[in-house]
Amino acid sequence: MESGLFSVSIDFETSHLFFPTIIHWILGGLFALILITKVAPFMVAVKRGERTLPIIGESRDNFRFFGTFALIAAYFYLMAVVGDLFPYTGYGFLFVSIAFVLLMSLLYLHEWTKKALVIVVINAVVAPTLAWFVLAKLFTITLP
Amino acid sequence: MEFLSVLDFTFFLLVGFGTLVGIIFGAIPGMTATMAVAVCLPLTYALGLNHGLALLLGLYVGGISGGMVPAVLLNIPGTPSSITTTFDGYPMARKGEGEKALRICVIASVIGGLISAAVLFLFAPLLADFSIKFSYVEKFLIILLALSVIASLSNSMLIGIFSGVIGVWLSLIGDYSISDGGNGHTRLMFDFMEPYLFEGFSLLPVLIGIFGISTILLEAEKGVKRDVAGQRIKIGKEGGFSLSIFKGSLTNLTRSSFIGTFVGMLPGVGGSAASVLAYTQEKNLARNSSQMGKGAPQGLIASESANNALTGGALIPLLSLGIPGDATTAVLIGAFTLQGIQVGPLFIPENHETWYVMMTALVLANFVMFFLMFFAIKYIAKVVMVPKHILYPIIVMMCVVGAYAINYGIMFDVWTLLIFGVLGYLIQKIGLEIAPLIIGFILGSQAEVYFVKSLESFGTYSVFFTKSPIAMVLWGLIAASVVFAIIMGIRSRARQKMELSQASGPHTVSGKHHGSNND
Repeated sequence: MESGLFSVSIDFETSHLFFPTIIHWILGGLFALILITKVAPFMVAVKRGERTLPIIGESRDNFRFFGTFALIAAYFYLMAVVGDLFPYTGYGFLFVSIAFVLLMSLLYLHEWTKKALVIVVINAVVAPTLAWFVLAKLFTITLP
Repeated sequence: MEFLSVLDFTFFLLVGFGTLVGIIFGAIPGMTATMAVAVCLPLTYALGLNHGLALLLGLYVGGISGGMVPAVLLNIPGTPSSITTTFDGYPMARKGEGEKALRICVIASVIGGLISAAVLFLFAPLLADFSIKFSYVEKFLIILLALSVIASLSNSMLIGIFSGVIGVWLSLIGDYSISDGGNGHTRLMFDFMEPYLFEGFSLLPVLIGIFGISTILLEAEKGVKRDVAGQRIKIGKEGGFSLSIFKGSLTNLTRSSFIGTFVGMLPGVGGSAASVLAYTQEKNLARNSSQMGKGAPQGLIASESANNALTGGALIPLLSLGIPGDATTAVLIGAFTLQGIQVGPLFIPENHETWYVMMTALVLANFVMFFLMFFAIKYIAKVVMVPKHILYPIIVMMCVVGAYAINYGIMFDVWTLLIFGVLGYLIQKIGLEIAPLIIGFILGSQAEVYFVKSLESFGTYSVFFTKSPIAMVLWGLIAASVVFAIIMGIRSRARQKMELSQASGPHTVSGKHHGSNND
């Protein structure tokens, strides 16, 4: 059964690194292959101006993109902060969600008409309240 | 028939509610069945297994079929799987036959869904019975096969494999769990991360982040435009529909449904592959395909029966092997884990009742979908117009609830959303593939255990080849999938070259990697 060529013994103390090491080698090998077969020709095409680099070379709505990112980060952070002020009530989720939904809707709204704004404000109050009521009160799910 | 006692009024209500919400999600362009399931997961925390499954399966079936609505009316596929529905649906809608087109789609969908449910019912227990005898060696090879199949069906096999291995790598972060026979040491992280990542990233926040948050980021980048603004939805005149349209389409219907079921079984391959394959087969094999692409019902039938047949197909590997057949079923794995149930070969024998409940929910969801869409399609069509600035904040909010509640209130799980939202965004931007990555992530830690345990007990790598005839068959299948990918690659390259030489003008390299994520 034991064939010398393929035999292997795994030390229990370092067994947690055995599989990851193999994966690292595979990842490295594949990455090198991709560099040669895909990335290099692509970069040549970029130099000749036929293709553009992803992310850096593309046009983007910077205001909305980074605004979304900042809003989500602030939302996650403040939820925990406010939640700690009112533990086990879910108010952190409720209050911060109302602010978040309102701001994000405004960020995405292209034409600020009166009608659109009223809908946005109503939605910002009703949606989080409804979610909070159904989840935290009816289903007693833990919320920040 | 004990399971009948579980089917109470709430059960039926939840299937109906799930299907309706699913249809709405599917009908809104940019939102998918996967997202519907991910966003509604927190609702199942309080529901218990049977009721939770009723809701989720309703969402799944509804979400896949909802995609037909904008596909027909606006020429935008609501979900990637309804891409081929636009080919014939939109021309029909422009001729004022929108309602007729939608009704054809609905009937094709329900038949596709029911055929695949039947295949699931007959086939999954057999496959589970067979795979029960698998040892660690075969289990590892099954995972290897799953990953190689996904990779070989990606746009580029190299990219597919690479994405899958990244997924495996991500799943290894954390400890080599003692409960799996490991030594409990952590790896692939710095010491300061240990309090957060000792058990690695939780599955559900990862999935919700990649499918929910990254979609929002991708849309934000484009400025969240209202792509349907100004367009009036015209559903067309009443009537014009009769069952006689389906005369002579029996072959098409059956063939497409089986194609959909089969493609659904292949892990990580999504609905777009199923409907495209069914559509092209109809085009190649039909006696008269000259009208296809100009508004022919046969195109709609092929596309919609195939993409709905996916649902049953994708559940087969999930329930018999524990390997998700597509992105949506990957999220379903999360729902099972949540209820403390391990899906795998033992699932059906040990949870007979749940198995029947699932089948009931699946069949029921198809019927609910049929009735909702067939009779209320006019009203459902209006949701296509819900503005995104209202919808997206609510989706982020639901994502947060889902992530936070999964482990009973851990804030790090919420941050995981953002980490993987950004990661998912970057991955799609640089042209890697989401589906293989997710499957790699789900199966990675099991693959490690099976691999290391096999080696520990046999002490030689050769065991993977010589353990049993099944192992050899599995290697044969792995080789076949690789060869298939190479042949397809050579073919498409040859075709590209031909097109390039034919178009002698300024050579334009056709668009970048077209995301074929199966969400």
